[in-house]
Amino acid sequence: MKNILLFLLVLFLITNIHSQSNVNPDISLIGTFNTFTNNVKGTPEYGKLNFETPAMEMFIDGYLNPYSRATANIAYEEGEFGVEELYAQILRGLPLDMQIKAGKYLVGFGKLNTIHPHAWHFIERPLFHQIFFGEEGFNDIGVNFSFILPTKSFYTNLDLGVFKGDAIAKTEVLDPEDADSYYDLRGNSPIFVGRLSSFFDLDDYTNLEVGLSGSYGVHAKMDFNTLGDSTAELENKSLNYLYGGLDFKLKYKPDSYTALTLQGEGLLNSRDVFRQGDVGVNIPIEKSEKINSFGGFIFIDYLFGKQFSIGAKYDFTYGIIGDEPSFSSLSNDDKNKTQGISGWFGYYPIEETLAFRLGVQNISFKYDDGTSRDSETTVTLQMLFSLGPHKAHPF
Amino acid sequence: MKKIVLIALISLFSTISFAEIKVVTTTTVIYDLVKEIGKEKVKVDYICRGDQDPHFLEILPSNMLKLRNAELVFKIGLGLEMWLQQIIDGSRNDKLKLIDLSKDIEKKEVPTGKIDASQGDVHPYGNPHYWLDPENAKIMAKNICEALSDESPDNAEYFKKNLDDYTAKLNSKIVEWKTKMSNLKGKPIITFHKSWVYFVEKFGIKVVGQVEPKPGIPPTPSHNAELVNEIKKTGVKIILMENYYSDNAPNQLARTTGTKVVKVANAVYGQEGINSYIQMMDSIVNSLSNNL
Repeated sequence: MKNILLFLLVLFLITNIHSQSNVNPDISLIGTFNTFTNNVKGTPEYGKLNFETPAMEMFIDGYLNPYSRATANIAYEEGEFGVEELYAQILRGLPLDMQIKAGKYLVGFGKLNTIHPHAWHFIERPLFHQIFFGEEGFNDIGVNFSFILPTKSFYTNLDLGVFKGDAIAKTEVLDPEDADSYYDLRGNSPIFVGRLSSFFDLDDYTNLEVGLSGSYGVHAKMDFNTLGDSTAELENKSLNYLYGGLDFKLKYKPDSYTALTLQGEGLLNSRDVFRQGDVGVNIPIEKSEKINSFGGFIFIDYLFGKQFSIGAKYDFTYGIIGDEPSFSSLSNDDKNKTQGISGWFGYYPIEETLAFRLGVQNISFKYDDGTSRDSETTVTLQMLFSLGPHKAHPF
Repeated sequence: MKKIVLIALISLFSTISFAEIKVVTTTTVIYDLVKEIGKEKVKVDYICRGDQDPHFLEILPSNMLKLRNAELVFKIGLGLEMWLQQIIDGSRNDKLKLIDLSKDIEKKEVPTGKIDASQGDVHPYGNPHYWLDPENAKIMAKNICEALSDESPDNAEYFKKNLDDYTAKLNSKIVEWKTKMSNLKGKPIITFHKSWVYFVEKFGIKVVGQVEPKPGIPPTPSHNAELVNEIKKTGVKIILMENYYSDNAPNQLARTTGTKVVKVANAVYGQEGINSYIQMMDSIVNSLSNNL
């Protein structure tokens, strides 16, 4: 019922917008349709051609006034509507040429996270994103302040933001049946995110961007029984995290028919986690422990004949993809590892209005305790379409 | 003390007199025209290289940097530079003045009915390739002169003189180009993209088809087959195309029909030796007249 109401509201808005004057915002729609098969024995998808429910993203975007813009991205995924992004930006007119972006949006940690998945070269979200940000990436509510630094010969940008922190805590839901339970774990603790990036024209055809990112905050709050005494008063403690990120993108584009892209990102994770120790008075002692882990990816993509692309990606991350969120899994796991190798072929018949991609991804797992698990291979055929005005792609 | 004040006043005066207007242009054709009118009183840079297709440009932060300190940005308009607003927004320059050079141009191919993507990349406000008619280059130069004079009224006379000199130079070249092109008058040609409408009308050439089935849509074998028939029927001798497009389909047509593919730059710096608008037009005219 909620979905139907939301859909009707969207329809009403579109109709209403169209009936108004020439200050209408741009409206565009991205459709995604995936079919896939895998070799994971024991799953219903094993060896079969599986059809995913088509996904949709509708962007409504325009100027509010000469100084600011607003954007809404309404998504339909897995049969449900949701507000993927909703934000306003003040673009000019502020002191120090600052730009402010406020609302719910893809956070500028690393290069890839701010790019919508339909514009990626590959199909699957990088493994370290899934482990450290969740399956929808680092999407959060907050405010970001952006500055251009006075490096005259090249472009340098500094972003500083404060966010609610939902994306960080999403990987730690103690009760998977209750998706909202992570709110209770963090309380009202904002997180901080920053990115410093520089862009260089190496020559007329080659560009390089390098970035450093950081994020800090409380990822959970817990009651600890530090004495291991079932009658003792519990001690409430904050568990902090610090992410450090490094990213680069190198692109060689000699003409509009050919491009070679080499891009990579890495994340270092240092955080306090909940652990149980030896038995104290009558139950195990609960303590926080500092762990360090990391993840990253690197890929190469070659566009040829304007319409075709071929590429390969290597992924590595601590944590096991697909684990249930807990205080010892995903971003809290410094013992087990997941590795991925993927390849893809893309066909773009006419500009960016239509795209077909065939992707293969093999994921293998390494458990610290020696548990053996077969690697998993998934083959996905994806069709994308883009209806309405689409903006030029940022580098 | 007196001397210091005097020196300070002189340096202030010289700063005011010789301050350059900082200009960025979207294309190299506009860049050349701004240089001709502004000469040493402007500092000018461009965004789209001469060997790039101006319809599609990636948003590079280095271009935002160019616009960051500019006072004026000139564009072709008519929807050619759909990427420009994103670069302007990224520059955060709230004092930047945007000058659309299409304002006094007599537009061609302005759609009358509803347009949609089934018609290809149709420009809703008319065909934007108007700089390929040298008469339009004169209008562009005049509008550039006006914008520079508004920005620096003290130098208005200087800009006007440069405009007059350049217009005179263009007028004499137009006579030369017309003479050279006279043997192509009424002759049928095929173009790759629908970007030559202003040029062919100026020189009286007849375009009987495009290699692209619809604007911006890649060539297809079935459309090529139709073009082969058209070439045979109308006696086309030349396929005219910009040098940033792939020549695979035109070359295939040429092999089948015996036509010649004439690849030219339609922008300044589009190929080696083309360093001005006049050199660009010389190159196009010579390539066509020598290949007939």
